[in-house]
Amino acid sequence: MSHEPEQASSEYDPDRGRSVVVDRLTRYGELAGNALLYSSAYLAVIATVEVAVVMLLLSVPPNPAPLVVGLVTFAVYANDRVADAEADAVSDPERAAFARRHRDVLFVAAAVAYGLAVAVSALGGPVAFAVTLLPGALWVAYATDLAAGMGTRVRRLKEVLVVNSAVVAVAWATTLTVLPVAFADVAVTPATGVVFGYFLLRSFVDTEIPNVDDVAADRAVGVDTLPTVFGVPATRRALYGVDLSTAVLVAWAASVGHLSVGVAAALGVGLCYSVGVTTLLGRVDADALSVASECEYLVVAAALVAPLWLG
Amino acid sequence: MLVTIVVGTTAALLAWRERPEPGATPLAAMLAGQVWWSVFFVFELRAPTLARKVFYSNVQWVGVVVIPVAWLLFALEYTGRDRYLRRRYVALLSVVPAVTVLLALTGDPYGLLYIETSLVSEEGTAALRRVGGPWFWVATGYTYLLGLFGSIPLLGLVRSDALPFRGQSLALLVGTLAPWAGNALFLVGAVPMDGIDPTPVLFAVSGVAYLGAITRFRLLGTSPSPKHRAGRLVFERMRDGAVVVDRHDRVVDMNDRAAAVLDVDPSAALGVPAAEVVPNYCQLPAEGQSSRHFSTGEGINAARYDATVTAVSDVHGEPLGRVVAFHDVSDHLRRQQRLEVLNRVLRHNIRTETNLIHGNADLIDAEGDRVEAVKEGAARIETVSDKARDAIDIFERGRRSADAVALSSVLRECVERVHECYPDVTVDCETDGELGTVPSVLTPVLHNVVENAAEHNPAADPRVWIRATRADGEVRVRVADDGPGIADYERAVLRRGNETALKHGSGLGLWLIAWGTDMAGGELTIADREGGGTVVTATVPTVDADGDEPATPTDDGDGVSATSDPSAE
Repeated sequence: MSHEPEQASSEYDPDRGRSVVVDRLTRYGELAGNALLYSSAYLAVIATVEVAVVMLLLSVPPNPAPLVVGLVTFAVYANDRVADAEADAVSDPERAAFARRHRDVLFVAAAVAYGLAVAVSALGGPVAFAVTLLPGALWVAYATDLAAGMGTRVRRLKEVLVVNSAVVAVAWATTLTVLPVAFADVAVTPATGVVFGYFLLRSFVDTEIPNVDDVAADRAVGVDTLPTVFGVPATRRALYGVDLSTAVLVAWAASVGHLSVGVAAALGVGLCYSVGVTTLLGRVDADALSVASECEYLVVAAALVAPLWLG
Repeated sequence: MLVTIVVGTTAALLAWRERPEPGATPLAAMLAGQVWWSVFFVFELRAPTLARKVFYSNVQWVGVVVIPVAWLLFALEYTGRDRYLRRRYVALLSVVPAVTVLLALTGDPYGLLYIETSLVSEEGTAALRRVGGPWFWVATGYTYLLGLFGSIPLLGLVRSDALPFRGQSLALLVGTLAPWAGNALFLVGAVPMDGIDPTPVLFAVSGVAYLGAITRFRLLGTSPSPKHRAGRLVFERMRDGAVVVDRHDRVVDMNDRAAAVLDVDPSAALGVPAAEVVPNYCQLPAEGQSSRHFSTGEGINAARYDATVTAVSDVHGEPLGRVVAFHDVSDHLRRQQRLEVLNRVLRHNIRTETNLIHGNADLIDAEGDRVEAVKEGAARIETVSDKARDAIDIFERGRRSADAVALSSVLRECVERVHECYPDVTVDCETDGELGTVPSVLTPVLHNVVENAAEHNPAADPRVWIRATRADGEVRVRVADDGPGIADYERAVLRRGNETALKHGSGLGLWLIAWGTDMAGGELTIADREGGGTVVTATVPTVDADGDEPATPTDDGDGVSATSDPSAE
């Protein structure tokens, strides 16, 4: 009987050791990247940056609002990923598979995140608490057929054209704007209204862009969106219109002194970036485009911070 | 306090996710109420002015009053008592909470909730000190009452045999008792910090306990709710009639079947002495099966019933009443009646007629071989009638399963019968020690097996070998012969378990053996013998001499296997 010879391993091979480390780093990096992307944790990071941008725009002192918004964002989107896993199987099979595989962990993590957000928001007073409850309550109304359970058949908000994106946009714009103000207990000024309007329009664009990739899935489940009803070119034109409205709002705010010129310029950079993304709509991979559109606030943040660093 | 809010919110979301599992919605509502109370308590503590503190204290009532109502609804739904979860009951339960919230949110204009409110300083912190008014104590008493009512059905589960239900109910009770105990201490002034109600803080214990119940013991994933309804459902839908009587022999419940059998209106029969409703009630035994049937209707179509009495006792073994169940035995008795008639026909009429044929054939003035043919035909009819009588004998013995016989004496009878009827056949009977007793139904089985082996054997020196052994509570009787063997189609009928017009056996013999062995709780194998012939093996459990029943027959047919594998020998 012969035995398979054992490989000598007592001697350390630096090249082999390095390659094992690289392999492990690559593997874990890939896993972390997938978790960040598919669980929508990256959206929580972006939302945190958005609140930081709001605080810079309104000169609000540091407070826990970015943390609360990051936690709420993670909770709501992680829930959404789990709830929409079936529908996403058509448009984004990898994300749907991730959500299905880690369904329980994602839901528990989302619930804990929301619980933390509510607890921290309680320190900000009743307004901060109410604003923190708002996205959660709207998410329930948005994704759950509550009325059907009560015996009345009403169409889910998620299925109604424009209303679906408008509801999300209002919820996020309110949360992003009001929460830091409530935490800091500072007065509401016209600039607050401008910032709210800016984020309302931006959030609408951010919500409609991923719909281009979800056309087949949305049609399958009867959800009306701009791309499913009017097609991609018309959606592109509509979003140009929203971008133009945002530009008009920012220009007006700068002209009347609600925003400084520097801040308006930074928002303008973000808008240019958004127009570029909208131009590519239907022409490049829609997945990448969705992530790119959501990264607009990173561009704005960079444009706001860069002069401080450079100066 | 922040821990309370985090844990409570998390548990509420996890419970909400489990809808429509029984109890999920009220549990989520209860946890939401706890979170609401805790959050506004934080606001109250942090409020800078008395007016603000009073406002937040009043708003807390929204969460406070939700908790007991949701707790009771949860307990009822979770334990399967969902018939109480109707809108009018929920509305009724919500009257006191609604009045309380109304008083609190309108600033308690008549001083019903609080008769005194002041600020006290507790370790440098301004705290609200409130003295409850009359409605405060009504609301508090109502809360404690609902808490108690909700705990009762859960206490029943603490002694459940199922670990998950024990764990779930214990966790739920701990989660509920902790804040309630804290609140009770606060109300009697046993809490050292004046004006600080520890109840919201102790909701952290509730949240952890409920989270543990949801995740560790699969609360809402494994629910005892069907158990409560299932017992009632089985009672209502059972095919036997059942009447429940109390210790004073009065009817307290009956199912629809019993009402139909006894031809009574269930609502009218409740509370009536059982003797007025149940025929022969006074002759029923205290427990067990009645020796007498009772019948409804008259003539050949009368329905007849067996009555079985089962005692009902409480957890301490004290008698509570009895359940009298009626089992319809009409069909069984009709079949028995038909067998008795057939038995008489086969035993008397056919035998008489074949004797007549036989006698008259001798008187026929015809060629000898024709006369012989008539006599042989008559003999075959008689054989078939003998087998049919054997079959009836087997059924009769099978019904009297308590009868037992010594196997050695049965085998001795078999050998003697062969010697008497087939003197040319050599029988070797070998037994292995004491064989014990077997159900009497095996007697005709072994008679037939041995006689078949001797009868259908045209060999020059016909032989039959009998070997009986006993081991592990069973006896194994193996009968081998050197005859021509049993045709495959005969065995196929046994394997299949039924006959059709086109596929059937040639007689009753093999069926007799198969039925009898099955009734004795045994197994039968039929195999070819090496060197020619057949081996029939019956393996049967032994019974006590006083006739303890053998093991229940297997469900896979008649317990018969027929094979051509010589190794079966």
